[in-house]
Amino acid sequence: MTDLAHAHDHHAPAPPTGWRRLTAPGWLRVLWVTPIGFGLGIGLPVLLRWAAGWHPLWDGAVLVTVELVTTPVFFLIGLGGFDYWAHYASGRPTRPEDHSGHGAHSWRDYFRINTDHKVIGIQYVVTTIIFFCIGGLLAMLFRAELAQPGDQFFNPQTFNVLVSNHAALMIFLFVIPAFAGLGNYVIPLMIGAGDMAFPRLNALSFWLLPIAGTILVAGMVTPGGGPSAGWTCYAPLCSHQPLGQVFFNMGVQWAGASSIMTALNFLVTIITMRAPGMTFWRMPLLVWANFTTSMLVVIATPFIAGSQFFVMFDRVMHTNFFEANGGGYVLGYQHIFWFYSHPAVYIMMLPGFGIISEVISVMSRKPIFGYRLMALSLMAILVLGFSVWAHHMFVAGMAGWLRVPMMVTSMVIAVPTGIKIFSWLATMWEGRLHFTTPMLFALGFLSMFVIGGLSGVYLASVPIDIHASDTYFIVAHIHYVLFGGSVFTIFSGIYYWYPKMTGRMYNERLGKLHFWLTFTGFNLTFFPMHYIGLQGMPRRVADYASRFADINLFISIASFGLGASTLVFLYNMVYSWKHGEAAEGNPWRAMTLEWQVSSPPPIFNFDEIPQVVGNPYEYGVPGARHAIFGAPHPEPVGAD
Amino acid sequence: MQLLGLGAVAAAITTAVALLIPWLPESASKESTRIHFVYWFTTVIAIVVFAAVVAVLAYSVIHFRARPDDDSDGPPTHGHTTLEIVWTAIPAVLVTAIAIVSAVVLAQNGNAGHDPLVVKVTAQQFAWEFTYPNGKTYGSLTVPKGRHVKLEITAKDVIHSFWVPQFSQKQDAVPGQTNSLVITPTHLGTFPVICTELCGLGHALMRSHADVVTPAKFTSFMKNGASAGPPGLAVFNQNGCSSCHTFKPANATGKVGPDLDDLKASAAKANRGPLDKFIEESIVDPAAYIAPGYSDLMPHIFKEQIPPDQLQQLVHYLSQGAK
Repeated sequence: MTDLAHAHDHHAPAPPTGWRRLTAPGWLRVLWVTPIGFGLGIGLPVLLRWAAGWHPLWDGAVLVTVELVTTPVFFLIGLGGFDYWAHYASGRPTRPEDHSGHGAHSWRDYFRINTDHKVIGIQYVVTTIIFFCIGGLLAMLFRAELAQPGDQFFNPQTFNVLVSNHAALMIFLFVIPAFAGLGNYVIPLMIGAGDMAFPRLNALSFWLLPIAGTILVAGMVTPGGGPSAGWTCYAPLCSHQPLGQVFFNMGVQWAGASSIMTALNFLVTIITMRAPGMTFWRMPLLVWANFTTSMLVVIATPFIAGSQFFVMFDRVMHTNFFEANGGGYVLGYQHIFWFYSHPAVYIMMLPGFGIISEVISVMSRKPIFGYRLMALSLMAILVLGFSVWAHHMFVAGMAGWLRVPMMVTSMVIAVPTGIKIFSWLATMWEGRLHFTTPMLFALGFLSMFVIGGLSGVYLASVPIDIHASDTYFIVAHIHYVLFGGSVFTIFSGIYYWYPKMTGRMYNERLGKLHFWLTFTGFNLTFFPMHYIGLQGMPRRVADYASRFADINLFISIASFGLGASTLVFLYNMVYSWKHGEAAEGNPWRAMTLEWQVSSPPPIFNFDEIPQVVGNPYEYGVPGARHAIFGAPHPEPVGAD
Repeated sequence: MQLLGLGAVAAAITTAVALLIPWLPESASKESTRIHFVYWFTTVIAIVVFAAVVAVLAYSVIHFRARPDDDSDGPPTHGHTTLEIVWTAIPAVLVTAIAIVSAVVLAQNGNAGHDPLVVKVTAQQFAWEFTYPNGKTYGSLTVPKGRHVKLEITAKDVIHSFWVPQFSQKQDAVPGQTNSLVITPTHLGTFPVICTELCGLGHALMRSHADVVTPAKFTSFMKNGASAGPPGLAVFNQNGCSSCHTFKPANATGKVGPDLDDLKASAAKANRGPLDKFIEESIVDPAAYIAPGYSDLMPHIFKEQIPPDQLQQLVHYLSQGAK
């Protein structure tokens, strides 16, 4: 953002009138452009099949595949996602940017292509919370089924759909994009930039998300049955599923594309748009965390795109990538899938590490202990994260020699993770701890993630994994890592930046109530799963041996409590947004840059470019500053 | 001092949780005993690490809580190189120890000795088939106590996974390849065989059982086969019918497909010829008639899979047992 002065005298252009309202980007244009895409999606395959003389002309899997490309693309065209680029590509002189698509002046501005990273951040967070609630409701439904052995409410097909989509929505539509949303809001502010490097790409990457979510949800209610092969979608089972499976394969593509675009944007923004004086070693750890996460996303996500395309082609085009009797390599799917999906575990965790570093340092009033090692351990996890994928395949029948090396790397990755845990503890040591809601969630994360990390060491050991693989022990482990880990950090981050995003304080008592209900419900739900798993209850079963009946009933009841705790959160968020106490610019007395501007920040973030002069966590250091505003001459970047 | 006290309390509670709850199933194989050892080895380390973290956390929460009006900052400690080296090195040593123990046990558990009993295991939706060196095939596994058993596992359709919790050993059954798994039973008894890889609608009920018998009994089993029942029952079990159907004479309780105890009523409702014909058609061409309230979910593989003589046995068995 170079032209800061321009921001203050910008006027939104007059809204289009008459027939121009139909051609201007927006929902009216969506209404007539999307059906064109829909028609094309039907017309094109039918026409080609007719021309080639193939029968039947009407093939469900083919139609759905093409539809799930054309309809969303035309929806985005209608909404205006490609207007600027189309204009530019056509060779016409580009229109001067009038910033009419930047910032939110009313709630309507949240429902269009908006280039303001702060608007996009909120769009992301709200959308992902909606999908979090849907995913949670699915879990409530199958926990109801699991309260007793035998079939109660759902047949196995429906049960498998519920389980598959619970995981898919939570992973692809909640945890990953929720971090992208928080990062979107905070990163440009933290590094002293006016916006992201590519604001239009940013807007587009958000709008891919509701598309992906809609496709996944629509897949559940597809005639013939929803996707029911688990979120891992293993071949060859996945290639022989009802039509809804194609929705799953394609939905993941849209979510993945969104994720890659955002990651690229983060990388370019962080590398090129830091304020003067903001060296890499002066970046807040949240920025470090998103920097490493974005590299993981950019490198790894294409692999899941590949795996989902191949497995879909096996079904739709009758290829034989993973069909043994066609010469395919069945385990190839798992190798490609986990080459993404293990790094994805870190994609779902590293940004949370960043959030926790911010919260613990600020709420303990102390500098981060061992800042450089904290940043380097993120990089270590990034590198090691690519060398551990096959620990998901210890019992799969892959090459036998691969097991021990993969076990060693999986064990070693516990070391940088341990460094982070110990450094957070040392940061708190002798501090002045303020137990606000974000801090409670940070401490909840710390204790729960240690359990998840330790059960991870059990599973990294090949012999133990052979016993525990594909049982409820795995279910317990991933929920300690992804709920006790990721979800707690997301809650922590939402509460921490809520005043900045909305300009209002959340209700602290309700926040604490939410924490304690979640913390208790979480442990009561997931801790017993370790036990039933080791004892012999496999995962992904609608029916189970009657000796597990009592404990499953207990888990189901606890899970309903856990689900209900979310209502406290939702109420607090919605009520406080309207009626909360007005927030100051810096309610936490934090040093990082996002807190040095008003809440919510000015439309272009900074009225003047900050000059970074020191480290971001210098609490207790007399006279220390992270940045100064209004420096007459930018100081040269220090060696630090 | 108080920190140590907190650590001791945390360690004591964690140890109690580890010891008082019977986390692992009883061990019934040599491999399982070794795996349990790795489990306990790791648990000791986990208890120490967990107790240390919890102690520091609890101590901080108790002692470093700021008063509501306290706006001061903590001491500006930026790090401590020795401490950082220590907490990098100690976990590295601990995980290396776990990795070494694991690798040794893994190697031992893969060793089938020089004269193992080889049993071919074939998984399919939703049944297990166990084929012995004498060519006989059963729907459940029978193995002698004390001898190495090498299972050669494969699948016909999708991925399944063979697991007996008391043997601890687990191996995926993958179409197009054969994976092996070694089991050396140490306890007599009957243990559940469970499919642990989601394999479709009947996955939850894709169960069988493993009988560990004395070597003498096993010799007679190899000679005479399993205790006699109607021949159709064996066909019924081998093809996994029980995963989806309820049929009292076979103790089958599946609920995915129609209840076979009501076959006569269904046949009358379907009105597609005599009972025998109806049963046969429903097996070899399941889509020909679909009972109201159900959909076309039954695999279309049985026409090829069940030889004609066995098909007749199965039809006979079902029509006799049907009310």
